[in-house]
Order: sequence, then structure tokens, then C-alpha cells
Amino acid sequence: MIKISANVQRALADETLQGNLRRAFVDTPHPRDEAVSEVPNWEELRRYARDVKAHTLSRLPEYLQSLEEKVLEQGGKVIWAETGQEAVQFILDLSHRRGVREVVKGKSMLSEEIHLNRALERAQIKPVETDLGEYVIQLAGEKPSHLVAPALHKSRKEIADLFVQKLGMAPTGDVLEIIATARKLLRHHFLTARMGITGVNFAVAETGTIVIVENEGNVGLSVSVPEIHIALMGIEKVIPRSRDLAVFLKLLIRSATGQKMTSYVNCLNGPRRSDELDGPQEFYLILVDNGRSKILADDFMRQSLSCIRCGACLDVCPVYQTIGGHAYGSTYQGPLGAMLTPLLTSVGEAPEHAFASSLCGACHEVCPVGIPIPQILLKLRERFQSERNQKAASLSLEKLAMQGWARVMCSPILYARLGRWARMLHKIFGKSGMGRLPIPLFSRWMKHRDLPALPPRSFRELYSSSQEVS
Amino acid sequence: MLHKIRHACAGGSSVELPAEMPEFPHYSDPVEKFRQELERVGGVFLDGRRSEELAGALGLVLKESDSTEIYWEGEELFQRHGISFTLRDPEAFAKGSLLYSFHFRHRVQFPIVLNSKPAERSDLARISLSASGARFGVAETGTVVHEVKAGRGRLLSLLPPAHLVFLSERDLLMNQAMLFLSMPPGQGSALTLVTGPSRTSDIERTLVVGVHGPEKLFVILTS
Repeated sequence: MIKISANVQRALADETLQGNLRRAFVDTPHPRDEAVSEVPNWEELRRYARDVKAHTLSRLPEYLQSLEEKVLEQGGKVIWAETGQEAVQFILDLSHRRGVREVVKGKSMLSEEIHLNRALERAQIKPVETDLGEYVIQLAGEKPSHLVAPALHKSRKEIADLFVQKLGMAPTGDVLEIIATARKLLRHHFLTARMGITGVNFAVAETGTIVIVENEGNVGLSVSVPEIHIALMGIEKVIPRSRDLAVFLKLLIRSATGQKMTSYVNCLNGPRRSDELDGPQEFYLILVDNGRSKILADDFMRQSLSCIRCGACLDVCPVYQTIGGHAYGSTYQGPLGAMLTPLLTSVGEAPEHAFASSLCGACHEVCPVGIPIPQILLKLRERFQSERNQKAASLSLEKLAMQGWARVMCSPILYARLGRWARMLHKIFGKSGMGRLPIPLFSRWMKHRDLPALPPRSFRELYSSSQEVS
Repeated sequence: MLHKIRHACAGGSSVELPAEMPEFPHYSDPVEKFRQELERVGGVFLDGRRSEELAGALGLVLKESDSTEIYWEGEELFQRHGISFTLRDPEAFAKGSLLYSFHFRHRVQFPIVLNSKPAERSDLARISLSASGARFGVAETGTVVHEVKAGRGRLLSLLPPAHLVFLSERDLLMNQAMLFLSMPPGQGSALTLVTGPSRTSDIERTLVVGVHGPEKLFVILTS
């Protein structure tokens, strides 16, 4: 079971992390807003993408079969993995058969989801992360804290110190110096590794094309130098036609980094042909389910599978901005992690994720494929609560309190009267905000909540008096 | 597994594919738009549409990339882009080989006089400047499209620190939608959309150019 609350306390108390988060989200405006606002038909693109995804998911078996057919035609192989374990096992077996001791990896959240690196290390195969952010994370022995920028929680100084300590780099505060060190070390791995493993952003059913978006060139090298390329994809990543790519790339890239285009978009059609000069001799596409078909079976929750992993919802989420990615304790963070983690496992396995949201709706607003994340989170809370109610006795204090609250909220007279009483009590008991009330019955509830000072007059009173004046 | 997915799909509502693609932008001067976008991402645009400009453009690329040699794949690249040249040492221009190189001993002047040097694929890792022809260019984003096909590879445009792309004006498309609509069903094993030099923002979201791919990208437009 993944619990969040303890992590949150830790994250809030971690001053370095708080500073890094502030720098990332408060001090520097994200370029997305500008990149999105200069597209006049952004909403039309979103609707189109949402509909294409909904359509594809409703006919997923057809499209997956077509994808498989095309990949086979081009000389690639397709592996269907019902669980993460099956996918991992295939990679281990293949590595053993080919005598592979080292693997260069492009950034893949799915490989995190199925804990591939851990399994490779146990089997004495060295995974080398080649995306700079992932490389930093791997050196630090941590997990990515952001979908798009895995080392977002680290400052330049922390990264420099890490390089000095682990790689023997001369101390420097220069980003260029850090990157030159990584480039030089990784170049060696690129030129010697015999297997490259990458994720997949989109897979085109009509052509069998695997599309991988990147900026550094590390994916390009990972799929070009080694003799074996393995692409890992969740079954939801398939799209019907090449032309849809124009729309999806525009949405994904602007949402993820605010660029118009990334430096590289790799469109791959199987292994090298015999008359080409380089490229992998073997190409494997692993289609991973790992809980996705379970989500697919629920018509409402199915929308969550439209996610294209741009990370926009993380960047705008007030909860994510405050606690960072690690506090979620799961592969996926932010609103998308709050939604996907309990869906991919169960609400029993991730009971707090759906509650790690203020339901402000910013995630839905920026989502390039229009996933109603707050609604999905509400549904998950409902599911969690009904599972709990089934277990516990039906009469609980919380339930009674909520029933009372509901009654008050339904009656304007009652609401106004209680408000007045509360303000009177406040006048009597405390002048400077009530802080944490020492009410024994509510002590658990109050543990994470402050009661702000009540204003002397309610909004309604202010409103009606201002009406009288004018 | 497919059975399980089929079963999961069966209960859900069916949704049709949207009938029409959203509009993508058009430009009155696509070359100018291409230049702007390429320069915005740190690429270098050079107009070589008039043959007398070509030599100057080539000279600039050599100077900027601090190179005296250009390597490329396939024998027709220079001819196809209207670069006429005479060879100082024709025998050394190894016909039949797959990787070619020109060595520039003199200032680049039209017509170009070239020294040719036999090249090996093992040279790839230490080449300082490579060249290739783009299959397409896209004005909307300043993108060039690199196509891997017979006699071509993936690495020549990725490993060297500087890369030069020849783009023919007639292959310049307006926008991404046109690119994906006119993309030929894949003959080769890879098609790469390249937009500017390699870069990263992984450290404090600071943009830094030149990570694993080329740190300099030149595009010469030819007619």
C-alpha cells in the first residue's frame, strides 16, 4: 500500500526541495502559456485529439492488431505482455540469449512502472539512462520526480556536487561543464552498448511506425548504434493514422515544454533494411497491459487512458507545486499520478492518491486531450469511500458530521444563523485566529488543518449593507 | 491478452473518428517563415538558391564549424543540390564507396575545387562536419526531415558535432499536417524530424544547446 501523508510532511519540511520547487514553478513562468496562446485553434486541436483517442480506445483490439501486422511486415517482432513482469522477463531472456551486459536507455516512464532497471541490475545487466535528467536521477539512486523533467527537484548545485562525488568531475557551477561531462561519458556507452531500450510516444496503426519525441539526441543514438532495439509501449499509445501525428505532436510538445517542436522526432519503422548503412538488426515492440485493460473496461475511467504524458497537469497543480513528485510515492506524479496510480492498481493499494488534489480544475483546463481529471478523482474518492463503508460499521462520526453539514448547507437560514454563532464564539474565545482547536473529537481531522480567523462580518451582511448605501 | 482487451472494450461506447483535420497555418512567404523558426531554435539558415551564393554559404559553414572537410553518404548529394565542382585529384574520389568526403584546402570559391579523400565508416566518431540532403522541410516549425533509406544511415547526422543539411526549395512544405499527409509509406527504417541543434533543459529548466546530437545545425536552401 502506498501512503502519501508522511511523505507530504517530509516534503513540506525539506527546505532545499521547497526552494527548488519555488524556483521551478514560482520564479520561472512556464513557456507553455505562450506556446499555447499563439495557436488560434488550440481548442479545436484538443477536441480532435480527444475524439481520436476516444475512438481508438473504443476499437483498441483492431488497432493493436493492425499495428502488430505492420510491424511484422517491416521485419520487427511484437511481444504482448499482460503484466510488467512478463515484459521484464522477455527483456531478461533476450539479453541472456544475446549475451548483453549493458543496455542504453531512453527515457521511459513505462520502464519505471515495471521496475525494469532493478530487474536488469539483479540479472547483472547494467542499465545506463541516457536522458540527462534520468542520468542524474540514476546517479543519485532516486526516482524521477517529474514526467518530462525527471530531475526537476534538484538544483544545479546539487547536480554538480553529485557529478563531483560520483564521476570525479572538477567542482563547477557551470551547467555547460556538467553537460560536457555527461556527454563524454555517455558517448562511450552509446558506442559500445549492444541493446537500446526506449519508450514510445505514439504508435501509428496504419503504418506500424513508432514515434519517440526528444531533445537531446540520446534516443536517436540509442535506436541507431546498438544491434537490438526494444521499444516499450502501453497498449493505449496506439493512434490510427499518420496524419493524426501532426495534431498530437503539436499538442504534446507545446504542452510539455512550450517548444513548437522538439529537436528530434524519431519515426521508426522496424529494424534496418539490408541496404541501409546502420541501425539495429533486431527490433522488438513490447505491448504492455499491466492493468490498462481493467481501466478500459470502465467506460468512464477509460478517458484516463487518453493521457499522452505531457506533464502539463503537474506544472499547474498547486498540490504538486507544493509537495513535489516524490511525495506521491508512485511512478506517476501530480494529478495524472493521483488518477492513474489507483486505477492501474486499486484504490485499496493507493488509498490516498485521489485525495491529493484540491480539485481546482487547473489540470483539466491545461490537459491537451481534455481528460476530466477532477471528475475522475471524485469518482475514485467515491469508490474508496464505498469500499470503506462496506467494511466499517455504517454509523461513523464522520458520516454524522457530514449529514449535519449537508443539512446546514441546504438551508440559507440555518447557514446564516450558525455563521453568526460561530463568529460570536470566536469573539469570546480568541482574537488572532483559532489555529488548531483543541477539540478532542476533531483532533484527527484538525491535525492537518488550520482554522483561519473569522472576519467580524459575513459576506452576506457586507453585501446587504453595501446595497443599502448605494 | 488480446482477448482480454477485446472483452474490456466490448462494453464501452463506440466513438467515430473525427471527420475533418483541424486547420494548420499557411504562410505567404514560407522560406522566410522557415528561416525565422530555424533561427529561433538556434539553427543557421543560408540561402543558396543562386549558384553564386552557394560557395559562400559552404565557406561559412566550414568556418563556423571549424572544419576543413565535409562527409556525406551517397554520391549524388552535391550534384543534386546544384553544387558543381571540379576535383583536383579525381582518382582519390572513391567511387563505389558509401561514405564520401571532400577536403577543402582553399578558400571556397565558385566553381569549387576540391580535394577528395577516401573515407571509412569507422571515421564516423571523429568527423567534425557531416552533410545530408533533407527529404522535406517544414516552414511552420523550421524542421528538416531526414530519411533513412538504401545507401543511407542514421548516425552520420547524429554523431558529428556539426551537421549541414541541404534542403531543396520545392521540398519545403507549409506545415506539419502537410508533412504527415505527404509522407511516403515508409520504405526505409527511420524518418527523423530535426528542428535545430540538440538541446536539454533538464538542469533547472535552463536551455543548453549541444548534448548528444550536433550542437550546430546548418541548413542551406537550394533551388
